[in-house]
Amino acid sequence: MRKAVHRNMDVVYGLYDDEEIMMDAVKQANKDHLDIMDVYSPFPVHGLDPLLGLEESRLHVAGFVFGSMGTLTAFLGMTWIFTKDWPIIFGGKPYWSVPAFIPITFELTVLFAAIGMVVTFYTICGLGPGVTNPYLDDRITDDKFCIAFDKSNVDLSAVESFFAATGASEVNQKTI
Amino acid sequence: MNQFVFKSTAKTFLISFMILGVLCMGLTWFTDDAVHSRFWTNLLHNSVFFTGISLMATFFIAVCITAYAGWHTMFKRVWEAIGSFIYVGLGLMIFISIATYLHMNHLYHWTDEADVAKDAVLYGKKGFLNTNWYLFGTIIIGGTWAYFYNRLRALSKAEDEDGAGVNFAMHRKMRVYAAIFLPIVGFTSAAMIWLWIMSLDAHWYSTMFAWYTGASWFVTMIALTILILLYLKGNGYYENVSQEHIHDIGKFLFAFSIFWTYLWFSQFMLIWYANVGEETIYFRERYDKYPILFFGNLMINFLIPFFVLLRNDTKRKFGSVGFVAGIVLVGHWLDFFLMIKPGALHTAHTAIGHHGGDAHGAHDAAHGAADAIAHGAHGASEFVSGFTLPGFLELGTFLGFLALFIFVTFNSLSKASLVPKNDPYLGESLHHHV
Repeated sequence: MRKAVHRNMDVVYGLYDDEEIMMDAVKQANKDHLDIMDVYSPFPVHGLDPLLGLEESRLHVAGFVFGSMGTLTAFLGMTWIFTKDWPIIFGGKPYWSVPAFIPITFELTVLFAAIGMVVTFYTICGLGPGVTNPYLDDRITDDKFCIAFDKSNVDLSAVESFFAATGASEVNQKTI
Repeated sequence: MNQFVFKSTAKTFLISFMILGVLCMGLTWFTDDAVHSRFWTNLLHNSVFFTGISLMATFFIAVCITAYAGWHTMFKRVWEAIGSFIYVGLGLMIFISIATYLHMNHLYHWTDEADVAKDAVLYGKKGFLNTNWYLFGTIIIGGTWAYFYNRLRALSKAEDEDGAGVNFAMHRKMRVYAAIFLPIVGFTSAAMIWLWIMSLDAHWYSTMFAWYTGASWFVTMIALTILILLYLKGNGYYENVSQEHIHDIGKFLFAFSIFWTYLWFSQFMLIWYANVGEETIYFRERYDKYPILFFGNLMINFLIPFFVLLRNDTKRKFGSVGFVAGIVLVGHWLDFFLMIKPGALHTAHTAIGHHGGDAHGAHDAAHGAADAIAHGAHGASEFVSGFTLPGFLELGTFLGFLALFIFVTFNSLSKASLVPKNDPYLGESLHHHV
């Protein structure tokens, strides 16, 4: 996960019309030792992550931890309520009726994992209600594929000739 | 290498295990009780188990065709090969059906006409639980399955030899057969599961049982597919079957293990919660007399696949996926053991009780441990060899059947190219990326 919130950063970016051309461009950039800041696309592109050297997301580890918390909360909670706090006999079953706890335990596991992962994801990405994130171009969410460079990190003329050579349909600069 | 060669060394190896299986079955027959309940339950157990696996392979081919799926196309021949066991499995089931029809065995309580007349529950189920349904249901429904397998396989092979190259002509025909087959197998598999397995506990019924058994078959089919693919890859075939494909089959192993657990638990919880005597008897029996299998079943078939395959990377590594597949294969065999044996043992006790009067029955009864309980040996251990836990004879029979299954599968696999070169979805399969 790259840092999503950039402030006062000069960015030079190229837009591509097709993800295949963009993928070839990323390969070329790696060959030319140009340090790509990030790539933006309207949909997930298969095989892009290894090219950018992104490691596997650890979000699912968070999911497992939150899920386990849900399991424990539900199971221990019901155990305490039905044996210590407010014991009630249902249908002649014992106070501590494990089979009856399982569906609720399962549901809280799913709930905790789902909400926990969403909150974690939003926090890491700096997203959330009331947060405005800078963006490079509207069409990145529509039909354009974008490779962006941090201007302070690369040689501008090298980047421009790179864009020209790899078939970018447009090259722009923006401070975000 | 696009052509599987069934080596003679492999054949000898498998045949020697089949001989072991036959020896074990013979030994079971001669050390058995008066009604040969151990022999017949072992035969039924393994026949039903492996027939169901082959049915599920055909079912999954039909699902993939109907869903326009292409990820599996590279190794779909393995499923076609597994499906070919349906002929042998059907033969075995018809053999058992004929034996049941002629009252040569006492597997099912509802075959005892005197008891059915006395028993209101069995009398009420007489319209379905009778030897005619059992025999002709097996022949007609099983025959239908075999017919659809045969058509799908024939079209798949014809596609390979199609001179016109890659085109959809055969595939469209297969889609028709697959789409007709799916609802048929959905309803008829449930009917056969009721007859073959659930009616062993003739008084008991559960609407979830068919799903539960079907899920068990399906998981085993996936596990066997993984093991066969790993074997083939180890021998240099299928170099294009990659981690990506194993990852997807691993997901199926993981997901359907959970699905099986979901059905196991749902069936258990509804019966436990309602607490109606007619229904709880199924679990009471197993909980009290088969505790190791009852809880071991959940450990092996849920906890191990769940925790081992939970992570992304363990589904991608051949070692961990193969390990779980091996465990689950044995685990679901034990699951079927637990479905079949307790009910059949009860029926055997009843049957031996009826025979108790005549001298011949009493003589035979001296051999069988099952008889000891039938004659009311109170205070003695309730352990019945071959029923309470699988013994060496059960293990040998299982290995024999497994060898037969692999033999039929490999034989079928060697009859066609491994990669279907004219399948229109082959390209998708080659570039499959998870």
